[in-house]
Amino acid sequence: MNEIATEPIDHRLISEFKAGSMEAMEKIVERYEDRIFTFGLKMCGHLQDAEDIAQETFLNAFKYLKDFREETKLKNWLFKIATTACIRKRRKKKCEPDREISLESFVPQNGDDVTYEIPDWSEDPSDNMLRAELKDVIDNAIQSLSHKYRLVFNLRDMEGFSTQEAADILGISTQSVKTRLHRARLFLREKISTAYKEGVVQ
Amino acid sequence: MREECKKDFERLSEYLDGELDDDACREIERHFRHCPECRVCVDTMKKTIQLCQAVATEEIPSDARERLRSMLRECIDRTSR
Repeated sequence: MNEIATEPIDHRLISEFKAGSMEAMEKIVERYEDRIFTFGLKMCGHLQDAEDIAQETFLNAFKYLKDFREETKLKNWLFKIATTACIRKRRKKKCEPDREISLESFVPQNGDDVTYEIPDWSEDPSDNMLRAELKDVIDNAIQSLSHKYRLVFNLRDMEGFSTQEAADILGISTQSVKTRLHRARLFLREKISTAYKEGVVQ
Repeated sequence: MREECKKDFERLSEYLDGELDDDACREIERHFRHCPECRVCVDTMKKTIQLCQAVATEEIPSDARERLRSMLRECIDRTSR
């Protein structure tokens, strides 16, 4: 028999939900709604799309929860459903195909005098203006990443999944996760640094 | 383009994530000693990730939260009847 991989609290809530508890359903939603919603927001960039993704994710999750064998953490399973919802949303919108990011353009050249400056994040609330500008720059940079790179970046760096977990969620190899993540990070570094140099962020 | 840069450059994220074995780490650190660009790349990449994490929205808005719950209650009620 396979081991139960879900956390004990999720395991209990799943059992209660299967026994018909609506309260257990609400508790599962409460535990994961922020993360699923913000993941949708980082993937799509729009509040309405993020809301649609959260609704679709939980609706499908509760529809199929009775068949969930708990061989993976509930969080990972929910993100797999959310990822499918993001891909479906993108298909519906008939977005352009993903652009590949080439590593070549980021490799330092001999005699390169390109400098990369990444601004600091201020924890000081009196810097609200600066923080808002910086947030815009970063949100735009993440949105300008091609979808397949954005998925990997969000799962790995924003949601904290391991390389193996991200590979399982996306159904791709760990090597592809690593390759896409590296390119995504370099792309974002370049975008943010360029905006900073151009004075978009003071 | 420096050939050894290219090889190590490809592995900088794995280095940053602690996914390389000891030998590969040592090799990259040796490379850093005479290649400040690659060293800077790791540092700025790390800062980029931290910055992206710092600005991320962390909560679902309360109206979306309410709509999500009432939609689920309604759908699940309907299917369980």
